[in-house]
Amino acid sequence: MYALPYWVLHWLRQAAINARRGNRRTRYLAWSVAAGVANGLMISLGVAFVLVFRSVWWIALPMLALMVLPVVANPLIRFVLVPAGAQRLAYYAGRISRPGADPVAYALCAAAWASRDGAAIAWVEARRDLRLPLGDAEIVTTGLLAAARGDAATARGLLRSVAMIVEDHPAVRELAGEWLACDAAARGAWRELADDASEMRWPATPLTYLLEGVALHRTHAPAAPPARELWARWLLAPRHRVTRALVGEALTCEPDAPDARAQSTGDATGAAPLPHAVAAHLAFEARPATAASLAATVAAWDAALGDAGTRAWLARRALELDAPPGAVERAIGDVAGAVTNDLARRAEAAQLGAPSASGPVGHGLTRRLRHGRLDALEAAFSRWADRRHDGSAHPAIDEWREFVALWTAYQAVVTAGGIELRRLAFPHAFSKGSHMAAWLWNKREEYALSHAISTWLLAEALAVGDAEAIELGHRNCALAVPTRLGRIEH
Amino acid sequence: MTTATAMLVDNPFFVLGLGTEASRIEVERESQKLLGMLELGFAEVQSYATPLGPRPRTAEAVRAAVAALRDPYQRLVAELWAHHAPPAAAEPPAREAEPSAPPRDGLRRQLGWRP
Repeated sequence: MYALPYWVLHWLRQAAINARRGNRRTRYLAWSVAAGVANGLMISLGVAFVLVFRSVWWIALPMLALMVLPVVANPLIRFVLVPAGAQRLAYYAGRISRPGADPVAYALCAAAWASRDGAAIAWVEARRDLRLPLGDAEIVTTGLLAAARGDAATARGLLRSVAMIVEDHPAVRELAGEWLACDAAARGAWRELADDASEMRWPATPLTYLLEGVALHRTHAPAAPPARELWARWLLAPRHRVTRALVGEALTCEPDAPDARAQSTGDATGAAPLPHAVAAHLAFEARPATAASLAATVAAWDAALGDAGTRAWLARRALELDAPPGAVERAIGDVAGAVTNDLARRAEAAQLGAPSASGPVGHGLTRRLRHGRLDALEAAFSRWADRRHDGSAHPAIDEWREFVALWTAYQAVVTAGGIELRRLAFPHAFSKGSHMAAWLWNKREEYALSHAISTWLLAEALAVGDAEAIELGHRNCALAVPTRLGRIEH
Repeated sequence: MTTATAMLVDNPFFVLGLGTEASRIEVERESQKLLGMLELGFAEVQSYATPLGPRPRTAEAVRAAVAALRDPYQRLVAELWAHHAPPAAAEPPAREAEPSAPPRDGLRRQLGWRP
C-alpha cells in the first residue's frame, strides 16, 4: 500500500532532477519545485507509515530509515555533516542518498567536502585509492581534498579537468560545478562563471544556478535572467542571507567603465618617439602586464628605434664623441636587446603572447617567447613520456595531475603564441601523448584517463590539420571506454 | 643580462648627477668631488636621482660611471638613455596591484565550501 506510491514518487523525483540537470531556463525552476514536492510527499508517506505501524516498532523504525533517510540525506550532508566536519557520516549519508548507479562515487565526494583535518583527508584518500581505474569521482574527491587543505588553485585545476573525463556521475559533477561557481564568485571572476553558464559545462545545483544568474547579470550578458527570475533562483538556493547581497548587487551593477589604464598609454603619443617609448616602458613596468599594454610598448619601441630622427641624433653624437665605426647600429641593437629582456621577462610571468610587430624589439620578443616556451614544453612532454621506460609508474591520480599540468602549460603556450606556435608544438606533444595514452590503456588499464588524452590530441590534430594524427585519433577515440557506469562509446 | 631598467637606474650620468652635455673634464672633476664627499660621509651625496626614484650612491658606482663615460661607445649608449628619459622621480613608482586580488574574502566559506 505504501511501497508503490513511494517508488512512483521516487521515480518522479529522480526524473525531475535529471530533467533540470539539462536545463538552464525557467523550466529549471519548475523541475526543482516538482522534485521538492516529490520529496515532501515521500517524507509524508514515510511518517504516515510509521504512525500506522507505531505499535510494531521493529517494522516501523527500519521502514522510517529506508523511506525518509535517503530523502533527507543530501540536506543533512550540506547543512549538518559538512559544517560539523563529520566526513565518515557524510560518506555513509552520501551512499544512502540514492545519487545514481555508483553511490560510492558521490559518497567519496561528500566525505571529501566534509574533511577538515589531516586524519579525515587520509581516511578519504585511503577509500579513494581502493577505486581503480580512475574516474571523475576520484578526481573531484582529490580536488575537494586540495580545497580542504587550503589549496584553491590545485582544486580549481583538478575540478576543471573533470570535463575531459568520459565517465560522468551527474551528482559528482554538480558538486564540482558548485565549488567552481562559488570559487569564481569569491574571486570576482564573473566572466568565467558566465562562460560556464553559457556553455552549460556542469549540471547546476540551485546554488550554482543562482550564481550563474548573478554572473550573467554582472557581465551584462544577453542571456541574463530577468530580475523576477533571479529572485526565484535566490528563493530556491540555500544560504539566503549571504546570497541576498549578491543578487542585490547584480541587479544594480553598472556596465564596467572603460579601462583607464588602456587610455593612459596614448597620453604621450604626441611626444618624440624615443621619450615616448621610454615613458611607455616605465608605465608597462609599473602596471599589471596585459596584451594591450605589451603591444603598445613594443610598437612604441619599434617606432622609436626605426625613427630617422633617433638615428640622426645618434649619428651626430657618435661623430662628436669619436665613437668607433658601426656604433649607431650597435647601440640600437644593444637598446633593443635590453628592452626585449625586460619585456620578455614580464610577458613570461603574465603568460602573454608576442604581439605582431615588425621592428627589432617585436622580432626579438617573438623569437625569445616562442623558443623559450617551446623548449620548456618539449622537455616536459619528454620527461613525462620517458617514465614508460624507467618503470616509475605513479598512482593514477598523480598520472592525471601530471597530464593536467602539461595540458595547462600547452594551453598557455598556444594561447600566447597563436596557431603558428600551436603547429610547432603539436607534433612533439602528439608523439609523446599518443605513447602515454597507449601505455595507460594497455598496461595500466586506466581507460578514462587514456581516452581523455586521446580526445585532447584529436581536438588538437583537428585544430592544426594534421591528417595522420586525425586518423589515429579517430581510431583511438572510437574505442569503447570501460567505466563503472558501463562501456561508453562515441 | 642587461635590461632597460638597469640602463636607466645605473646610468653613469644619473650616478654622477650630470647632464648629457657634460665634457670629459667636468666628468672627471665631478667624480673626484663625489668620491671625496662619499669618503667623508656627506649626507647629500649618499643617493642620486633617477626616473625610477632615488638610488644609493657608492664609491664603486661612481668609479664604474667614470670608466663607462671614458669609453666613447659606452658614453653614446648612456647618453641615449639619459637624454630621452623622463625627469627624475622623488619616489619609486608605486606598483599597481594585480586585478586578481580576491574581492570577497571568505565568500566560499560562507557559501559552504573550503578553503
